[in-house]
Amino acid sequence: MSSFKRNLKIILFLMLYSSTVNSHHSFAVEFTAERIIEIKGVVTEIWFRNPHVRYYIDTINKSNKIENWDVRTSSPSLLVRKGWTKKTIQVGDEISIIGHPGRDDRKLLSVISIKLPDGSSLGQDYPDSHELGEKK
Amino acid sequence: MTHNQKIKNKLKSLKLRQFSICKTLLLIIFISSSSFAQDSIEGEWMLTLNGGKAQIDNSVVIGAPTDNKAAIIGQLSLKESNGNWEGHVEGGPVEINVEGDAIEILIDSRDLAGFVFFRRLTGRHSDQGMSGTFTIEGTTETPEAGGHWMATRKTSENINLPPQPVDISGIWTPAPGMDFRKYSMDLTDKAQTWHDDYINHYDQPNVRCVSPGIVAIVAWGAYPFEILESNNRLTFLYEVDSEIRRIFMNDKQPPEYFPPSAMGFSNGHWNGNTLLIETQLLEGNVRDFRGEPISEGARMHEQYNLSKDGNTLTAVITLLDPDNYKKSPIRRRKWIRNPNTEIYPYECDPDSFFRQMYNENKLDMYFDRSHRRQID
Repeated sequence: MSSFKRNLKIILFLMLYSSTVNSHHSFAVEFTAERIIEIKGVVTEIWFRNPHVRYYIDTINKSNKIENWDVRTSSPSLLVRKGWTKKTIQVGDEISIIGHPGRDDRKLLSVISIKLPDGSSLGQDYPDSHELGEKK
Repeated sequence: MTHNQKIKNKLKSLKLRQFSICKTLLLIIFISSSSFAQDSIEGEWMLTLNGGKAQIDNSVVIGAPTDNKAAIIGQLSLKESNGNWEGHVEGGPVEINVEGDAIEILIDSRDLAGFVFFRRLTGRHSDQGMSGTFTIEGTTETPEAGGHWMATRKTSENINLPPQPVDISGIWTPAPGMDFRKYSMDLTDKAQTWHDDYINHYDQPNVRCVSPGIVAIVAWGAYPFEILESNNRLTFLYEVDSEIRRIFMNDKQPPEYFPPSAMGFSNGHWNGNTLLIETQLLEGNVRDFRGEPISEGARMHEQYNLSKDGNTLTAVITLLDPDNYKKSPIRRRKWIRNPNTEIYPYECDPDSFFRQMYNENKLDMYFDRSHRRQID
């Protein structure tokens, strides 16, 4: 795919998929707004509380080593209104997430969409992999 | 010289004089009109943007209607000094270019997710009004399209009316539109020095579950709040941070030694059917998520209006803090009456915030910055 087409897809993706994050503080300070990546891994811990709901995810990196990611989404009261409760994702679940990565290569991810083991999505509809310009 | 020649010469001289007078008159008119056009746009204007998709993610707020045509409104201040134009929108500085009757305004804003972007307004002006089109520059997470803009002279609001209270009790959900979410403000040197060393994700109060205070909370974009009316008092229950706020409607003064606090002390009264609230005794805090300071002694002025159908509540919120701001920051909010929800619990635990710093060996740095979390 040409870089033009790939960039166009990223732009279209950004236009179609708004983040589920409603930042309590300055998103731009911690996360890279211009980048979207995808990670896949196993949920090791869930923190369903303010100031942000967090999922800790183990992934395998290119060097075949385990990396633990701090995956953040919105406030519990905003998520539960949409039926996304603390039981929706369980420890041990294998999930895929797309989002904005942390700055300075920190293993942080601000969620746009999560794909659950049964293939359903949380947040925005999960896009096809080929729509992403960058993958983890 | 014949009589006819004399007449011709006289007419010629008269014509020349007339032409000269006309030229002078035209020059005067041109100079005065051009300088009038330049000078006359100085002052306060109300700016309205239509067509930009509203700066709120509908998916995060239950009950908020989709409203892609929600107007964005802001106060534009223009001033000319030595041929240079100075502009502010909602109290924050903007870039202004004026050439003849063409005007260009570049306004920075912050979307709901924290992305900073620009709206570039181009158009024409007269002393009566301005209008044109605008485009978006930079990344926004909530997509926004360009559209049309116009500005009209701001009219005086200092009219005292007999109270005509309206029923604003109920639960109110944030709705699209209204707020520019102006990003940069015109800070004093003292505030700028303080802010230069601010690190949002370490110093912002709410990241460690401390209330950022009423000035930030009242303009928060996603959470509902409830208004209870009782005798001589309005009570606002904010979902975010589970904050409670009492507005005394009977000129009640704070008790002796009542301390400054995040929510301050609020008095309200009805001016016609407009609710006006003045808040004092605010403690040193931050204005919003950018971390610009609020000094102890700052005041907040709010003006609430209910729509004729009783289902839309709007507010204009002005922070008065000359220690930190050369011009008063203004926010605007709009809410829709929503009987289909309740105020949800909002427990906050800073464990994950401290754990992250522990994992990244930044706890020492954090505690070395304790002074950053005290604002006088």
